[in-house]
Amino acid sequence: MNSQKICRQRSCLGWLTHSLLGIAVRQSIKVCALMIAISLAGTARSAWPQEASAGQNPTGSLKEMSLAQLGNVEVTTVSKEPEKLLQTPAAIYVLTGNDIRRAGVTSIPEALRLVPGVEIARIDSDGWSVGIRGFGGAFSRSVLVLIDGRSVYTPLFEGVNWDVQNVMLQDVDRIEVIRGPGGTIWGSNAVNGVINIITKNAKDTHGTLAAVGSGTIDQAAGALRYGSTFHKDIEYRVYGIGFIRGQEFHTNADPFDEWRMGQAGFRADWSRGERDSVTFQGDIYSGENGGETNIAFFFPPSQANVDGTTFVSGGNLLTRWKHQMKNGSDFQLQAYFDRTNRQDAQFGETRDTFDFDFIYHVPLPKHQDFIWGLGARVSPSNFIQTQATVDFSPNQQTDTVYSGFIQDEIPLVTNKLSLTVGTKLEHNNFSGFDFEPSVRALWTPDDHQSFWAAATRAVRTPSRLDQDLGLTGFFSAAPPFPIFVEITGDPKFKPEELLGYEAGYRSQVNPEFYVDIATFFNNYNGLQSLGDVSIGFAQSPPPSFTYILLSVPFANGLEGNTDGVEVGPDWKPTSWWQLKGSYSYLQMHLKDKRGITDTGTAASDTGSSPHHEVVIQSLFDLPGQIEIDPTYRFVSALPAQNVQRYSTMDIRAGWHFAKELELSVTGENLFRPYQAEFGSGVNGAPNIGIKRTVYAQLTWKR
Amino acid sequence: MWLVCIGFAFPSGFSVAVDAQQSKPSEYQVKAAYLYNFSRFIEWPARPAAETGEPFAICVLGKDPFGPILDATVSGQGAGAQGLVARRLTKPEDALACQILFVGDSEEGHLKEILTALGKVSILTVSDIPRFSERGGMIEFVLKGDRVRFEVNLSNAVNAGLAVSSDLLKVALTVRKNPQSGA
Repeated sequence: MNSQKICRQRSCLGWLTHSLLGIAVRQSIKVCALMIAISLAGTARSAWPQEASAGQNPTGSLKEMSLAQLGNVEVTTVSKEPEKLLQTPAAIYVLTGNDIRRAGVTSIPEALRLVPGVEIARIDSDGWSVGIRGFGGAFSRSVLVLIDGRSVYTPLFEGVNWDVQNVMLQDVDRIEVIRGPGGTIWGSNAVNGVINIITKNAKDTHGTLAAVGSGTIDQAAGALRYGSTFHKDIEYRVYGIGFIRGQEFHTNADPFDEWRMGQAGFRADWSRGERDSVTFQGDIYSGENGGETNIAFFFPPSQANVDGTTFVSGGNLLTRWKHQMKNGSDFQLQAYFDRTNRQDAQFGETRDTFDFDFIYHVPLPKHQDFIWGLGARVSPSNFIQTQATVDFSPNQQTDTVYSGFIQDEIPLVTNKLSLTVGTKLEHNNFSGFDFEPSVRALWTPDDHQSFWAAATRAVRTPSRLDQDLGLTGFFSAAPPFPIFVEITGDPKFKPEELLGYEAGYRSQVNPEFYVDIATFFNNYNGLQSLGDVSIGFAQSPPPSFTYILLSVPFANGLEGNTDGVEVGPDWKPTSWWQLKGSYSYLQMHLKDKRGITDTGTAASDTGSSPHHEVVIQSLFDLPGQIEIDPTYRFVSALPAQNVQRYSTMDIRAGWHFAKELELSVTGENLFRPYQAEFGSGVNGAPNIGIKRTVYAQLTWKR
Repeated sequence: MWLVCIGFAFPSGFSVAVDAQQSKPSEYQVKAAYLYNFSRFIEWPARPAAETGEPFAICVLGKDPFGPILDATVSGQGAGAQGLVARRLTKPEDALACQILFVGDSEEGHLKEILTALGKVSILTVSDIPRFSERGGMIEFVLKGDRVRFEVNLSNAVNAGLAVSSDLLKVALTVRKNPQSGA
């Protein structure tokens, strides 16, 4: 066994966290009974008399309506984003709430499958590999994820624990995905992209919404929300969601990945006069999911693949104040607190995060837009060691980030050509000061098209994993001494650095056809890999025996570049048919830096993201309020994950059969009974097949 | 087991309840209908334009979100004897011949200049730019969930010499009055 093999898949992270004891909670008859009861209640409701809707010829009949009637017509809202997108000098893609609804998905990562340049692979029931322009992995390394302005990037690992990033999908206003480095505004770790999940203002979620769903894998899911106005100026909503998700396909008949989650939260929006608006929101959640991980022991059996349950809980509170000044300036002040608790078979961690952000925008002469900002984040954490072979040292640490940025948008030719320059200056407890400058140019020859180009420096700051890890794996029992291998953090691990060069073109060719093309060349330096092996003797904790220790530190050992192109067309030939999709091409060339002889990491990184991805989504609006939405996707092979190329299809059928009721049925992964999309991340364990599923959901809204 | 469950979750008797509902109109179909409708609830002071038989003009300034919808809405209909037309404008000065001006959200950055250029001319200004009614505009479209509603700034309308029917104010989400104007 190669000394690096234990870290081959998902760069240790999966190995480390993909965990634990199996809770095999059987699908509950109670839940099924509940579903039936609720769906029958829905049937009763549908028999209610219905108010006249738009009528045969919408434009004609709408004209005849009174103002009060017009105010009661339900409309399909068209995203205005394409127009704004034309003015953005970055590879940004916006998934609207309606896009998410019509994708028929039950989670954020699934919705992201529709975004060009984003690689999503389901690892098991509760885990995903999420990558942007390469570097796919279970923790979305180098991708910054924000939910309503709250960063969910964890400094323990480099990335995001996707299993606790749940939102009520019906209340998502949009998800903005920025491919490419965004460090100047967003700060460190916005290296390969930013995923910005934005929920609706409380004024847009008045009324009651209840949704229940059940399916072959998503066995039971429910969402309930109520929104209203409180005391004239304050709009609010409260919500609760919960779900039980079953196991995916395990060739070794060792299912462990059941997942259940409950979450509740609120949002209040208060606008006072014309100049001030205040948002106050919070969530609280608790859940458990099954996982499998390889753990080494200093006692027999020395190592084992352990099934176990990960217990997660947490909550957050956020407030944001926006103020518009008389001179045209405005500022935004945001503060939040976030707590996460995670306990699995390998380790536990509790972490509190206190974050403060201030952004000030001031128009300067000659139509310049100047923005500056300050930020501070303090995050005390406590690592709970439960296995002698998994440690972060010190166990308790407070991580800090202090930052400031300036950015100026300068029109060079009015309405035609503008230049945006800026930089972030940041200090963190792992690697000290860093700066992240960018230059962006936007040329809009006319109202319908734009060209843009950008050069950016971004960094992924070291995480506790890079600097503080002590992870021991079992190597061999050969006499006279057993051999263990330890992967250690390097306290001198430096930030990974990216110099990114991008260019793009967008065009609203005609009212029916929009296309977005982006291309990039990214140059990386100091990417995480493994350093030189050192050999020594070590003494185990009780039962106290001597063993040979092969120690392998992390190192900033890789360099190289990636390039690619993404094309995202959107065609709406008729009022009832829309066709959109994406093609994403990616090449990764990574190699060891001089003096590094890491045989596995470069191949693992480059072999974990597809060269080609194709998504084609067709949206049909049929008579009788029926929507049929098939989505095809093709993903090329992931050799490092032992995943062959595959294509598959999802189909959603939605029926808005009564004024307040919608029924949808979604079939996913239809081409095969199951298909592995990513490695299991567990040493020696087979890949987990992601099953074909059928899921039905009933939504009542008024 | 789960097939059974899904079988129940598919209510089978729905076809009975379904009537001939059409697919929902788009947001801008409804907004166009509002623009058309507003003309019945607003009184413009008599203007020379009306005397010369100029048509009643609903104008769109900046990026046009309506497209052919607005033309379809106004076509063949006369609000009064003069007839009704839809016009697209690029400069706020051109709006002086309009009765209703919809300000596209591309103009958000120039809102102040536009409203200043209009001065106290009797033009009903409408927009879906956020906080339009607080920033000097008269009627602001607001989405409430899937429904299009509107807010009115009565002071701004009165200052421009427009008389707003109480029927319109009744269905408005909010009716604002600027504190200083005393309207």
